[in-house]
Amino acid sequence: MRAEGPGTAEGPGLYVYAVVRAGTPLPRKSGGVGSPPAPLRTVGAGPVAAVASAAPVPLRPRRRDLLAHQDLLTQLAVSGPVLPMRFGMVAPDEDALRAQLAAAEAGHLAALDRVAGHVEMNVKALPAHDSLAALVAGEATVRRLREAARRRPGYEADVRLGEAVASALARRAGEAGRRALRDLAPMARATAGGSEVPGCALNVSFLVAQADSDRFRATAERFAAAHRDHVDLRIAGPLPCYSFVGTGTGTGTGAGPGGRSAPAPVGGG
Amino acid sequence: MTTTTYVDGVAPCPPRSGTLYDVLELILDRGMVIDVFVRVSLVGIEILKIDARIVVASVDTYLRFAEACNRLDLERDPSSSTVPELFGGSAARSIGKRKVRKAAESVGDTVRKAVGAGGSDEDDEYDDEYDEAEAEERPARPKRRRAPVSSSSGGSASRRRRAEA
Repeated sequence: MRAEGPGTAEGPGLYVYAVVRAGTPLPRKSGGVGSPPAPLRTVGAGPVAAVASAAPVPLRPRRRDLLAHQDLLTQLAVSGPVLPMRFGMVAPDEDALRAQLAAAEAGHLAALDRVAGHVEMNVKALPAHDSLAALVAGEATVRRLREAARRRPGYEADVRLGEAVASALARRAGEAGRRALRDLAPMARATAGGSEVPGCALNVSFLVAQADSDRFRATAERFAAAHRDHVDLRIAGPLPCYSFVGTGTGTGTGAGPGGRSAPAPVGGG
Repeated sequence: MTTTTYVDGVAPCPPRSGTLYDVLELILDRGMVIDVFVRVSLVGIEILKIDARIVVASVDTYLRFAEACNRLDLERDPSSSTVPELFGGSAARSIGKRKVRKAAESVGDTVRKAVGAGGSDEDDEYDDEYDEAEAEERPARPKRRRAPVSSSSGGSASRRRRAEA
């Protein structure tokens, strides 16, 4: 399915969604970023191909564009391994894209082999903001400061109390998050510390065999339910393997400032 | 909650609480980068990311936590840690949530102002998009927030809540 025709507003440049193995079919119903969704095409170079569309102008991180990017990657994954591009990558033209694919072919193929049959599961440990009562009950310092603030109300007392609450929330979430990481890592082929997300105590992605993703999620959900007073554990996935595409052609898995990247191989079961 | 389309076709298991916000930083910060290609400049993204999460590092946030904490009605049975109101109580939950969302919002507003200091129609456009996303993402969330209660009124607020309960 090749659609070279111009959409509405599009400028020079090709928005690149993913690198796949040559011959991977485009999902029939998917469109690309832009409004209306840009028609998709593949740009092949030997054994690998890029999925691309005209880059809309202006290209903005709008909700529907983020979802279009995400949805397309997900649907592509049905037909084979996918190396997701980061949102917003634009190649100057088709020739440049082909040249890049050819130059990085070995790395792309190795990465495709690595993620084949796997999905990414992301786990975030957020402070359990809904469990303030449990926190007060469980944290002597907070309880003491709360009593102090009630006996002698005032700005200083409230700041001290609030600071203690915030730090206890973060500490509890971090501790529970690390326990979750220990429990979940054995089910993953690799783990990758995620970027720092404000307010998030722990952000880790797991490379999980597709067949194990249900079990992984069930385990994570059990942990979340058992520790809800300590941590708001958010589990997302199965996802395209965003965090496991490092090929040496870029900085795909470059650890952000908050990246507590556990060394990759955990030994899959 | 129709934002969890990323499971379609990959696995039959629908995510329980996955939203776009939960995977935003993966879409934006992970994935492959090709150095010679242009990456679209995404000024608004920082705003979106910060708004999506609660930033817990300001006096303002502390005061809001303190207020929420002071409002908790622990007096009924402070020794017990299994009183339902303490743990699953809808009143306590909703108060905690409201506080925290308020905090997140005010932090987001601040950042938005800071980033938008260059002031342009671009920012307005972005805000529109953001509001739209907000509305879709959290349909239950009221559009207008009530004005923050000053922290010194925690006692009366607490009493009020008790009366409501």
